[in-house]
Amino acid sequence: MTMQAPAAKRTALYDEHVRLGARLIPFGGFDMPVQYSSILKEHEAVRHRAGLFDLSHMGQFILEGENVAEWADKLTVNAVSTMKPGQARYNIFTNERGGAHDDVIFYRLPEVWLLVVNASNAEKMWAHLNANLAGSGVKLTSLHGRNALVAIQGPKSVEMLRKHTGVDIAALKYYFCVEGSVYGKRAVIARTGYTGEDGFELFVDGADAQEIWNNLLRDNEQGGLIPAGLGARDVLRLEAGMPLYGHELTEEITPIQAGLDWAVKLGKPEFTGKAALEAQKSADEYARIVGIVMDGRAPAREGYHVFLGDRRVGEIRSGSIAPSVQNKNIATALVDKDAAAPGTPVVVHIRGTAYGATVVQLPFYKRSQ
Amino acid sequence: MAQPGDLLFSKEHEWVKIDGDTATIGITDYAQNSLGDIVYVELPRIGTQVEQYGSVGVVESVKAVSDLFTPIGGEIVEINGELENDPALVNREPFQGGWMFKVKLTNGAQTSGLLSPDEYEKLVAE
Repeated sequence: MTMQAPAAKRTALYDEHVRLGARLIPFGGFDMPVQYSSILKEHEAVRHRAGLFDLSHMGQFILEGENVAEWADKLTVNAVSTMKPGQARYNIFTNERGGAHDDVIFYRLPEVWLLVVNASNAEKMWAHLNANLAGSGVKLTSLHGRNALVAIQGPKSVEMLRKHTGVDIAALKYYFCVEGSVYGKRAVIARTGYTGEDGFELFVDGADAQEIWNNLLRDNEQGGLIPAGLGARDVLRLEAGMPLYGHELTEEITPIQAGLDWAVKLGKPEFTGKAALEAQKSADEYARIVGIVMDGRAPAREGYHVFLGDRRVGEIRSGSIAPSVQNKNIATALVDKDAAAPGTPVVVHIRGTAYGATVVQLPFYKRSQ
Repeated sequence: MAQPGDLLFSKEHEWVKIDGDTATIGITDYAQNSLGDIVYVELPRIGTQVEQYGSVGVVESVKAVSDLFTPIGGEIVEINGELENDPALVNREPFQGGWMFKVKLTNGAQTSGLLSPDEYEKLVAE
């Protein structure tokens, strides 16, 4: 017997990606489209019309039982117990040091809870959740790789989707979800996303994904809907100041450091890492994630060193050109406290040369409505 | 697609056009297409002496940083200043407006190891 690296899995939409000429890369265990036409064109479509994303690589878990909320409240930083049916909420599973196992979204449906985790963390989170199930009465099921997730994101999303759903999606509020249908196929429709635009995420059976995907593209071709890949998604989320696990949040970088204090409910009686996060917040000496705008044309990339005067104060965690920020080069950096105030002039070293940059408040981009 | 006939090519997907004692260098259509949207080009300084196949700069797309090599040695005598404000010119016109730099051939044209249009076409078809 020979050992082989596991082949990348395919989502239910793999054949469509190939047909559409996508450039596929292995990501989170799946062959995923990084771009179809051009990252910048797809970015532009999402900001002004809409883009269609296959996010079926993300981990989808179902949680059932009377004690899901109480159980989840002990493992995460945000409040789960206060969620009403039909609500979605961003959350973070933490370790004892306050670092992040993963950042996730809980969707509370009428009967069960849907938990969506990052593709790159799906196996780790499956193990973590299972390790904490004993005695909880919570039942955990994985739909990973079986269910599909299609996202339509952009200012025209309501207009493009509403004719084809069995529910009034225009009335669905941001971070709410509903069980309904899309083109007659069962779907959980959520007004969530990772682009900084209005939009919906459609959790559907893998067997229905192709039909929904193709129908949406066909019926909205005139309106300018195009398929968009993970490359555009990364630029969109960075402009919108949204963290990406492995970059702005890690097992070492805590939600407090990432500036996600709003999601850390220190008033909860107990949760994993609470003491560490409380201590970190009150001491207020921690390195933190900030926004960086480069003065010039050279892009800042992950791992580049950031200096305040002659002193190294941190490093770039994500970086990209930002079409929605006057085409400037933007980045996030993890920097010492004394370099973190907006307006601080810093220097980023790129291939041995020092380039000027300025610390700014996140997000870089906010949509007008 | 057929490669322009009056050029020579490197295996690293640069093209070179030799005109007397000056060579003009850029990256191929295949290269720009593989990279995707080009957002930054860092070119060598005028006056620098470069060796054949040496690293002389970088080409950055939205997602990646790639080294730029020179397919021919000599002295850098001109760089394409247009690319500073419009790096996407490399995507639009890789063989024309998107040229990158010019080299003065101090020891004549040393083209050993470079590919003809047909040979390069075969390379990228693989």
